[in-house]
Amino acid sequence: MTWVGTAIPRKEDGRLISGRGSYLDDLSRAGLLHCAVLRSPHAHARIVSVDTRAAEALPGVLAVLTGAEAARVSGPIRPLIPTPVPIRDYCLAVDRARFAGEPVVAVAAVDRATAEDAVERIAVEYEPLDAAVDPEAAIRPGAPLLYPELATNVLWHDTFTYGDVDGAFAKADGVLSERFEIQRYASTPLETFGVIAEHDPGTDAYTFWTNDQRPGLTLAILAESLHVPQSRLRLVVPDVGGAFGNKRRPAYLLIAALLARKARRPVKWLEDRLESLAALMHAANGVMDLELAYRADGTVLALRARDITDEGKNLVSPTQHNLIKLGNIANGYRIGAIQYEAYSVLTNKCPSGANRGIGKPFMCFAVERAMTLLARRLGLDSAEVRLRNYVRAEEMPYTTPPGARYDSGDYPATLRKALARFDYDGWRAEQRRAHAEGRLLGLGIATSVEPAGTNLASYELITGRRAASGSAEAAMVRVEPDGTVRAAIGDPGSGQGYETVIAQIVADELGVTPGDVSVERGFDSTTTPWLYLSGNYSNKFSVTDVGAVLGAARKVREKLLRIAAHRLEAAVEDLELSHGQARVRGAPDKALALRELARTAYADVLGLPGGEEPGLEARHAHQNPLAEPVGPGRRVRSQLVFSNAAHVCLVEVHPRTGFVKILKHVVVHDCGRELNPAIVEGMVHGSTVHGMGAALLEEFRYDARGQLLTATFMDYLKPTTLDVPDIEVDHLEHPSPFTPLGAKGVGEGGAIPGPAAVANAVEDALAHLGVVVRSLPITPERVWRWLPRRADG
Amino acid sequence: MTVTVRLTVNGRVIDRAVSARRSLADFLREDLGLTGTHVGCEHGVCGACTVLVDGRTTRSCLMLAAQCDAASVTTIEGLTPSDGLSALQTAFRECGALQCGFCTPGMIVTAHELLAENPTPTREEIREALSGNLCMCTGYVNIVTAVQRAAEAPSDK
Repeated sequence: MTWVGTAIPRKEDGRLISGRGSYLDDLSRAGLLHCAVLRSPHAHARIVSVDTRAAEALPGVLAVLTGAEAARVSGPIRPLIPTPVPIRDYCLAVDRARFAGEPVVAVAAVDRATAEDAVERIAVEYEPLDAAVDPEAAIRPGAPLLYPELATNVLWHDTFTYGDVDGAFAKADGVLSERFEIQRYASTPLETFGVIAEHDPGTDAYTFWTNDQRPGLTLAILAESLHVPQSRLRLVVPDVGGAFGNKRRPAYLLIAALLARKARRPVKWLEDRLESLAALMHAANGVMDLELAYRADGTVLALRARDITDEGKNLVSPTQHNLIKLGNIANGYRIGAIQYEAYSVLTNKCPSGANRGIGKPFMCFAVERAMTLLARRLGLDSAEVRLRNYVRAEEMPYTTPPGARYDSGDYPATLRKALARFDYDGWRAEQRRAHAEGRLLGLGIATSVEPAGTNLASYELITGRRAASGSAEAAMVRVEPDGTVRAAIGDPGSGQGYETVIAQIVADELGVTPGDVSVERGFDSTTTPWLYLSGNYSNKFSVTDVGAVLGAARKVREKLLRIAAHRLEAAVEDLELSHGQARVRGAPDKALALRELARTAYADVLGLPGGEEPGLEARHAHQNPLAEPVGPGRRVRSQLVFSNAAHVCLVEVHPRTGFVKILKHVVVHDCGRELNPAIVEGMVHGSTVHGMGAALLEEFRYDARGQLLTATFMDYLKPTTLDVPDIEVDHLEHPSPFTPLGAKGVGEGGAIPGPAAVANAVEDALAHLGVVVRSLPITPERVWRWLPRRADG
Repeated sequence: MTVTVRLTVNGRVIDRAVSARRSLADFLREDLGLTGTHVGCEHGVCGACTVLVDGRTTRSCLMLAAQCDAASVTTIEGLTPSDGLSALQTAFRECGALQCGFCTPGMIVTAHELLAENPTPTREEIREALSGNLCMCTGYVNIVTAVQRAAEAPSDK
């Protein structure tokens, strides 16, 4: 029996379905205090004075922390990517607030309501400053500066040229130039971000229970800012109610820790929804000027992009969107020459950061919109222009000009399968019939690559020096003294079914069932193996996590076999692990149960082979071999293995209201070997709906002064059951030769091409009106403005 | 200011003095330890906190505990058999109708109400009934399928 590859139901579901999950807010501690945060009402303001006396006097208030105090008692937050001039950014704003919603003062009180009462009693005098809101305006001389010491809002600007771009443009039959924009949006996990922090004054040690999804990095930041060695920190991640990249904001862990230390009691802080939407994490908005040089037959010779990324007040991971766009700029096409000019720009908005696909949805949107426009210009079908440009299966592995390596897959076959599954030709005919009746149907195609695993060495392109690099994860597998199996991994997960898939992998290696394997929920830094690189990010499960689990399981497997061989007086090569036993192949009566082998390993240790260490536990860290330092010509494999997907979307646009209805959406996807097909399918559905939300509904809209206008779920609209169709999914399976089980990434595949597919479909419905979709979301109001005015409407 | 309430929660009579401003969600979670009811938005949009009050789905974040005097409240804990899972829960598990699980209790409570009123809903009717419950993970497809399967399960008829 092989468990990997089967669609077994998830192990974690029993508790989650019955209300027995254990999410952060379900946890408590004796003497727990609750934190509330006073936030800047201004996008940009000098903090003149802070008076907390009335708050401190309120009964039930145990501690108040101002930015000035935070700067005295803690260190600045270490950035993932250093800024050109070091900026000391603390957990609270000190003398200047730089976005509406930035934390300014924090309070710990006996309950949340009292803490919020206290926040209302804090008097802060602000001197409002002009805000930099639009990223292009923020670049210009004279723009309001977030950090006058930088003398600019541009954190980084560079141009990368691969191949003879100018030559390709000079000899092209034509050039397509367009400007595309992406809005701010986020995947908005339903559980908000939070922490419980506890300080033990006796040992000056801290414990954090948090739904932070990147504990390795966070622990480093906490140690530095709290001025304690990492050996005195413990970080525990319980069940996580979705994360999608958003749940990384160490400032709040620091706030809670400083309050806990001050109040000498544990402190819980949990965002409310307004705080989460206004201040946690937005996918960066931005503007991209894209040019394609093409031959008359539709072959794309070169691509040139000028990309301006609006980071908001992002000092933790600026340039991340740019770098990932660079790694994905070819989007599966054989484009020989590429130029990418990038700006990473600070503005007075919520910090941008990781959100399902980071930068790739916009890169894909721009390229896939351009390919569709090229098809229209040349009178080709949208599918045809793509088929003429794809990297072909026989070219795999294929290295793109900037250095990304497409490891496996058949992109033309993926699209063809999607078209067939969709009945593309049939719907084209139906579209013509419908148009004759005045119905506006549109078909959209978008395809994409979906990388997995980040090679952090790629940030050398930005900083000029190597800091963190590669891609790796650590895991542990242990056969307990009673023969049952336990596993743990440094990636806490956030709803992707890791407990199940890890159990499947371990079960195959040890000859047991997934039911026999208990996988640790979440993460505990004192028991879970972990690295700085550990965490739930970058689609990395298939690239590193699987290897870590497999490596640990194989070490235990080999040890079990050695002990069994000794006990059975057989050769290791003649043994197999199956049905919970080690047994001699072909002689099933010569067998020892795992329980018996475990008894030897832990208790009857004189029964071990000579030199064998007691115990049955192994740790393994897997480093993906594809990650390499930056190479000549500034080429780098910034991400490691590539899945791919083709989306075909059918929409109907209401000719009076402008309302867009998605009628049908087919995804054909190739993520290599599917470790659990049911989990894969669910991720494709959910990811695709994230793309649909970005396409039609979701936008963090700021006014000209930097005030967020969409800070509740009544203004910031998420897709409901009525906004999206039953997404149809089919698969190809080209295993990656570069991952331990041939699996590739799957979490982002829908979110990357989803927005482009829907946009292409809407434009297709309105093409006869000369409409070009250049930005998202495509709200009814925008569509209505494109529609011809009627006398009665 | 405190208010004394007497209500039934999952079949058990509760007498408590509660702060007048305490929401039903906080009362259930913090005073009664019923943490299966989740709080996702606190402004009545996401549906994660959905419970049954006198048999009707209610946003427990928008209702005060003080309003629940003499009411009968049922939470996900009350819809879970003491041993095993309900047909609806089993269908959610078999159909892959959850990922992070945070919305799931609210979904189950809402679907429970639907199936009580309409034992054989169409997919469209299921989508209509669940339209007030946000799920950020699944894209809804498998949730709709799970409710449909539960409706078809012999034990529910």
